[in-house]
Amino acid sequence: MKELVEYIASSIVDHPEQVEVREVRGRHSTIIELRVAPDDMGRVIGKQGRIASAMRTLLKAAATRTGGRYVLEIE
Amino acid sequence: METQEFTGKTVRDALDAAAAEFGVPREDLDYEVISEGRAGILGIGAEDARIRVVVPNEEDYEEITDEEVIENLHDIVTRLLSLMQIDAAIAIAPTPANAWDSSEFTVDISGDDLGVLIGRRGETLSALQFIVNLMLAKRLGAPVRVAIDVEQYRERRMKSIQTLALRAAERVAETHQPITLEAMPANERRIVHLALREHPTVTSQSIGEGDSRKVMVIPRR
Repeated sequence: MKELVEYIASSIVDHPEQVEVREVRGRHSTIIELRVAPDDMGRVIGKQGRIASAMRTLLKAAATRTGGRYVLEIE
Repeated sequence: METQEFTGKTVRDALDAAAAEFGVPREDLDYEVISEGRAGILGIGAEDARIRVVVPNEEDYEEITDEEVIENLHDIVTRLLSLMQIDAAIAIAPTPANAWDSSEFTVDISGDDLGVLIGRRGETLSALQFIVNLMLAKRLGAPVRVAIDVEQYRERRMKSIQTLALRAAERVAETHQPITLEAMPANERRIVHLALREHPTVTSQSIGEGDSRKVMVIPRR
């Protein structure tokens, strides 16, 4: 899951080298923390959060295959 | 910065001439109006519009070949599917001309049990298409619209929505009572509007907000 977010994020930002993704396992779900350069925030969130929401949708679809719950946090 | 002057009956004509000369879209040109031009009376006293255009940097407008698009697209979709642990085959072809889709290429994904890739009301498929378009545009440095389909889901869905729209139109034409269709995402509502655009006695309108936005088919006044 981490790789999926990493791949998408680094393909759409201006500074792929500053993309950082961490997986934090909780009891009920795994949090995926995405960090990008400050001026790339808009590129991973999008107008009205459209990009972030598309990434969450893909993450959810991928999770149905592997099982488990994933939460994407962008900071 | 190299500049070149262009003339035309109007500024717009001069811009068109410049766009044709450089082979770039008009809206991408950087220019300054020297003279707006005058129509004159019966051509007497008429003056051409003159503009000074910055000669575009050729490297910014390198042609993107179909092969390049297909290769990158193939790479992106294959990688995404593999990261999503979805085992499927992909085929890329130019999108056939149709009313509902203005994309240049269509990626058709086929395999067993791909419902997960479509999602509720095609939500996952739309998200995938949106993300792939972003990734591709970033790679190529220019937007190239692509559509993504799973086992012809989109095509089947579009056809069934067209049928649904026409059937509703028939009923509305008969009863003169409006009919509200089930909630649909934007791309599907568009199909209804397109299907009924030329209808002689009914018209369509979207109502509601967000996820519950739906199309109402109403008698034309």
